Amino acid sequence: MSTYVALLDGGRREQSIGVRVLGPGVYEVTLGGQTHRVDAFVHDYGTVSLVVDSASYSVQLDERRSELKVHLRDSVFPMEILDEKRLRMRRAAGKFTVEGKQTLTSPMPGKVVKVLKRPGDEVAAGDGVVVVEAMKMENDIRSPKAGKVVEVLVQEGQAVEGGATLATVE
Amino acid sequence: MSGRKPIRKVLVANRGEIAVRVMRTCREMGIRTVAVYSDADRGALHVRMADEAVRIGPSPSRESYLAGERVLAAARQTGADAIHPGYGFLSERPDFNRACRDAGMVFIGPRPESQEAMGVKTSARKRMSAAGVPIVPGSEGPISEEKEARAYADGIGYPVMLKAAAGGGGKGMKKCERTEDFPALWQTARRESLSAFGDDRVYIEKFLEKPRHVEIQVFADEGGNTIWVGERECSVQRRHQKIVEESPSAIVDEGMRQAMGRVAVNAARAVQYVGAGTVELLVDAQRNFYFLEMNTRLQVEHPVTEMVTGLDLVRMQIEVAEGKPILKQEEIVCRGHAIEARVYAEDPARNFMPAPGKITYLRVPGGPGIRDDSGVYTGWVVPPFYDPMISKVLAWAPTRPQAIDRLMRALGDYHVHGIATNTHYLRAVLDHPAFRSGEYDTGFCGTFEKALQVPPDRALEHVALIAAAVMAFKRDHDRAEEFAARAGIAQASRSSWARQGRMRAMRGGWR
Repeated sequence: MSTYVALLDGGRREQSIGVRVLGPGVYEVTLGGQTHRVDAFVHDYGTVSLVVDSASYSVQLDERRSELKVHLRDSVFPMEILDEKRLRMRRAAGKFTVEGKQTLTSPMPGKVVKVLKRPGDEVAAGDGVVVVEAMKMENDIRSPKAGKVVEVLVQEGQAVEGGATLATVE
Repeated sequence: MSGRKPIRKVLVANRGEIAVRVMRTCREMGIRTVAVYSDADRGALHVRMADEAVRIGPSPSRESYLAGERVLAAARQTGADAIHPGYGFLSERPDFNRACRDAGMVFIGPRPESQEAMGVKTSARKRMSAAGVPIVPGSEGPISEEKEARAYADGIGYPVMLKAAAGGGGKGMKKCERTEDFPALWQTARRESLSAFGDDRVYIEKFLEKPRHVEIQVFADEGGNTIWVGERECSVQRRHQKIVEESPSAIVDEGMRQAMGRVAVNAARAVQYVGAGTVELLVDAQRNFYFLEMNTRLQVEHPVTEMVTGLDLVRMQIEVAEGKPILKQEEIVCRGHAIEARVYAEDPARNFMPAPGKITYLRVPGGPGIRDDSGVYTGWVVPPFYDPMISKVLAWAPTRPQAIDRLMRALGDYHVHGIATNTHYLRAVLDHPAFRSGEYDTGFCGTFEKALQVPPDRALEHVALIAAAVMAFKRDHDRAEEFAARAGIAQASRSSWARQGRMRAMRGGWR
């Protein structure tokens, strides 16, 4: 049996799930003290038909970088799924916390329209540091923690890619 | 009837869903189409749909879709007879409209003079008032002296709105609740107007409590027949952007509808309007209605009217541009209820942050009474340069409650992977008791901000976890098997080398 750990609510909650093969496309899944017989039929990109015991679900899995969004009926469940080894590595790297130096990245490609803080400025958690414009809208890129701005790597008017580092806060 | 030649080739000076929508009608009418595109849109759906396509510049709108000269050059180069501007971009620019006329090109829309008359706020108000159209009570023009302004506000009664004469978009706009607050807000409004528009003239309007936004579709032909084609209620707005529109409006009864229709026709006639236009009205809590502005183009939400009337407004626009007459007022019949929801590439969970990027998977709803006006496809990269709307999904049904349920069903079947969209938020809007009851106003999204962020259904979380774990397991398992298979081949080949070696050794032994 293999065990996976799902991180929910941005890493604030964990849930472990055990999976064992019963036959082609058929699994035994243990979760929260309950065991289910799961028949998984994989359709096209990211879509899976799931028969859990006898209930039928059409589930879409939308995976981007490490984030996984599970679309199911009228809900979306954002999560991150790791095997136990990867979870240990992540814990060791201390990536779950906002302690230490934090990097602010642009969540989308766009243009830097305003730099609100300079290196050395004090910031509170949630303070806007840089404003990035995309699709006619201005978006504040906020500090995840209280601290001091260490560096600002972009200038006003500069085009940035999605994922580009904008600033660091310590 | 006019003896003008029919339109054979239309250049669509737009992009995204509206360009696709216009081209669909052109195809039905046997009219050839020309797309224009920026660098970011080389692979866009409207380019694929058109008979001809011309690159007009780099990705930013200023250098492409807003560059009137380049659009006109593309029209000349391809021998188009007419230009359809869609909405936004060049659709309400009288100078572009005039340039088309000067170039001998048909602009599918009103005359430039009509667009000019409706373009400036204070002068449009004056003109409408003169034509007997009710306007929001307020000063006739800008007021220069604070004392005079305050006396005027005291006279009409608080709350009042201070608005920039040159303005729009909420800048230089202040709500004043009491006479004591007037001086400070007056100064702020003037300062903001000056910095935003280079013009500090401010005028005063009465503030309407719980206003609703209801608009009337109008149409006019060159023969002087001006008609109105039902109303659309557009009070569900976020950041002054409409997101859900419906027809009929839940607060408009037949008497009010007729009165609004007459007013809208008067407004259109006052500026010698031709083609499709929309008269936007504000309705107060006592159901008094006032002129807000006139949009001198096709609206985003025009399919709502198409669904309740069965008409094709784009076809009607083209026919009017060819000099043909439109239907008579008594030939317009509205049936059932239609609702539109705008699907945006944005993430409601991250404060509606725009979400451009690649659409890795797209499955759109169908079935009874559903219409999807989309501008995207699987594999398309939504560019960061333009409006984030990717589609409009509509439902028609015999009654309003059925239309709501149907649209919710369709939004539940709207699957977009790779980028975030607002489909869940739209479902929450439709399902909210205030929307279902029809008792909502333009403050709806703000008032119910929290209630509209519906968390996922906890009862289904275990199924989501099962799906995620099984798929992760399957991936790891498939990978391990593939690895083992490769390792197996390697081992098999290693052993055959060993066998050969042994054989050679044996042969040597025999020598």
